[in-house]
Amino acid sequence: MGKYSDDPAWADVTPLPTDEGGPNPLAAIAYSEEYEETMSYLRAAMAANEFSPRVLDLTEDLIDMNPAHYTVWLYRAHCLFAINSDLKEELDWLNETALQHQKNYQIWHHRMLILDKLDSCEGEGEFVERMFEKDAKNYHVWSYRQWLVKRFALWENGELEFTEKLIEKDVRNNSAWNHRWYVINGREGEGVRGITDPRIREREVDFAEVAVAKAPQNQSPWSYLRGIARKGGMPLSSLKDFVSQYASLEQPDEVRSSHALDMMAEILAEEDNGKQQAGAALDMLAQKYDPIRKNYWEYRKGMLGLPSAAA
Amino acid sequence: MTVEGRNYGLPDPRLEKARHVKYWTRCIKTFLPHQYTGNDSNRMYLAFLMVSALDLLDALYTACSEDERRGFIDWIYHCQHPDGGFRMWPGTDFGERADASNAKWDPANVPATYFALSSLLILGDDFKRVRRKQTFQWLRRVQRPDGSFGEILMDGRVEGGRDPRAGYCAAGVRYILHGAKKHAPEMGDGNEDINVDDLVRCIRICQMFDGGIADEPFHEPHAGYTFCSLGCLSLMDRLNTGKYPSTDERYGPSDVQEVIRWLVHRQTNILDPGGALDSEFLGTKTAKLDPLEVDKLLTQTSDAQAVPEPSSSSAFAINTECAGMNGRTNKVADTCYAWWSGASLHMLGQPNLYDQTAVRKYLLEKTQHPVLGGFGKFPGDLPDLYHSYLGLAALSLAGSDEVKEVDASMCVSKDVRARLSGLWEAWDVENLADDAST
Ligand SMILES: [Zn+2]
Repeated sequence: MGKYSDDPAWADVTPLPTDEGGPNPLAAIAYSEEYEETMSYLRAAMAANEFSPRVLDLTEDLIDMNPAHYTVWLYRAHCLFAINSDLKEELDWLNETALQHQKNYQIWHHRMLILDKLDSCEGEGEFVERMFEKDAKNYHVWSYRQWLVKRFALWENGELEFTEKLIEKDVRNNSAWNHRWYVINGREGEGVRGITDPRIREREVDFAEVAVAKAPQNQSPWSYLRGIARKGGMPLSSLKDFVSQYASLEQPDEVRSSHALDMMAEILAEEDNGKQQAGAALDMLAQKYDPIRKNYWEYRKGMLGLPSAAA
Repeated sequence: MTVEGRNYGLPDPRLEKARHVKYWTRCIKTFLPHQYTGNDSNRMYLAFLMVSALDLLDALYTACSEDERRGFIDWIYHCQHPDGGFRMWPGTDFGERADASNAKWDPANVPATYFALSSLLILGDDFKRVRRKQTFQWLRRVQRPDGSFGEILMDGRVEGGRDPRAGYCAAGVRYILHGAKKHAPEMGDGNEDINVDDLVRCIRICQMFDGGIADEPFHEPHAGYTFCSLGCLSLMDRLNTGKYPSTDERYGPSDVQEVIRWLVHRQTNILDPGGALDSEFLGTKTAKLDPLEVDKLLTQTSDAQAVPEPSSSSAFAINTECAGMNGRTNKVADTCYAWWSGASLHMLGQPNLYDQTAVRKYLLEKTQHPVLGGFGKFPGDLPDLYHSYLGLAALSLAGSDEVKEVDASMCVSKDVRARLSGLWEAWDVENLADDAST
């Protein structure tokens, strides 16, 4: 009495139930009858190395209940290629499945396999945007987007504008900031200069500064600026005027960003005789502007050779 | 461990220990509800969470009889692959129908092997049935030419992501089976080890511009991947805690101070998910408890599920009494990241750089379930296995004396890790005996 056992099309298959090996299995699950049956038919099909259209239906059923099954996806891919199945249809099915199981690694890997075979990324931009509408920080989708950009050389197909659009929508979307870094610097290995190019660097500093103005306590653009300084060969001190708009030792009650104060401490520490002032900035962080990280700010003072205030 | 507390004078919130023991005892002794079906292929990992949680609560031997514990050990061995390594669950083993033509659909799995060996260690097994030599030979073959590890071998090809989860688990398997090098099984092919230098390089190139570590170069840094990367280095004795110059490529990460900066910024008092979607690490779905328990819960007074107060609206994290950890920049706190981020700082030798008192308060007052035991992901959430385990482990790291001391790199109690030296000594004697007989 089940979908498969009642189906004459499967009458030639003897299901193969799982052997738990003893009376005390660990993490045993109260499977539904439907799942148990689907699994035992899947196991029988895999054991027989069957590659057929009905196997595609079977794997579809199983994946719907257990998308984390690590061999069923490979089995399905093998089957698709073996019987020359329509890969566009596969993508349609994946579109629905991905929306249901957003956090599943195998789905994205499978999608890459299919796209690679199709050698076309038509429609993928729209699909990814639909996924971002559900969750604009989904790690798998961003990783997939990076793969698309690289596999199909989309670096200059509006990708920078895409990050701009998402950052415009949510200036705190760190994933979008990270993607922007990738779009600009992802080809340095191939000799395409990113933030080491002075023009690009200037443009990106401006971009981050505008974002800071919108929400000074947002860490993403501050990290981005710090990254530009570190990786782009720009001295942090060149940002001093900008940073002092948000954190200045002269106006200790008007600090608008703890991240600015942190950066100010670093700039001051590099100046001649600036260590005491850097220590004062770190004290302000520890005591007033970022007390959660009090011990860290004390540690930073220690790194400068300054005594801890809490001693 | 002494921990600096600001609200001294007030009693620390307590771990509802009896409820946690009850929660885990029920998990290990009865069937998991069908909502866990999506985790069927992660069962060895769930098994690890159960036995290790009961060990952290010092209740493994009281909750489970000797017969049961022996049965668990037998089940783990039932999942051992004939060619070395372990399966995640018996579901790929074709039994009597197994043959050379279908062997590729039944591979051993790298994370499953780490969780199986760790669970055996927790259960006090003697490892006599572990196919040490085959496991080690197989492990080397799951490493790619670029140094990264996959999860399985299929037709000789390495499959599974390139991320440091597999690298961490591989380093764990190597550590357990290898120990110090002299304990390694004799391979006799002059090629005894995995390529450690290449694995270190894979991790070094994943540190991003903001200091955090990602799964692949240019991906967004993530506390889970940062933990796996540092843990992998630590288990291979290649973790640079500041002793070596960052240019020394034998060690990682490539910039210690920047990763510390990134890690301390994971602490946040933004606790309310506000309907935001959040991702889980280790690819598990957060399965909820069975309807029966939910029902029982609903009959309790409503404050059992009290919604947390909205977090401070100030731009600064001024209210620091209660603060959890997040997994990425600008995300909300989540129970599991108190482990991934906290343990990373412990491994780097900087356990006091996050506010442990605030983390304890967060875990005990916000995400511990007051009725069912266990921990949820967010305040007021029902418990699940994954957050319930990592909540306990994080609590131990944050200085609670109600949980056994946990080892930050292996994610098991220090007691359990200490047992390894006894196993290694026994293997040395075996190796010597082998040498003498040849
Ligand atoms: Zn979590």
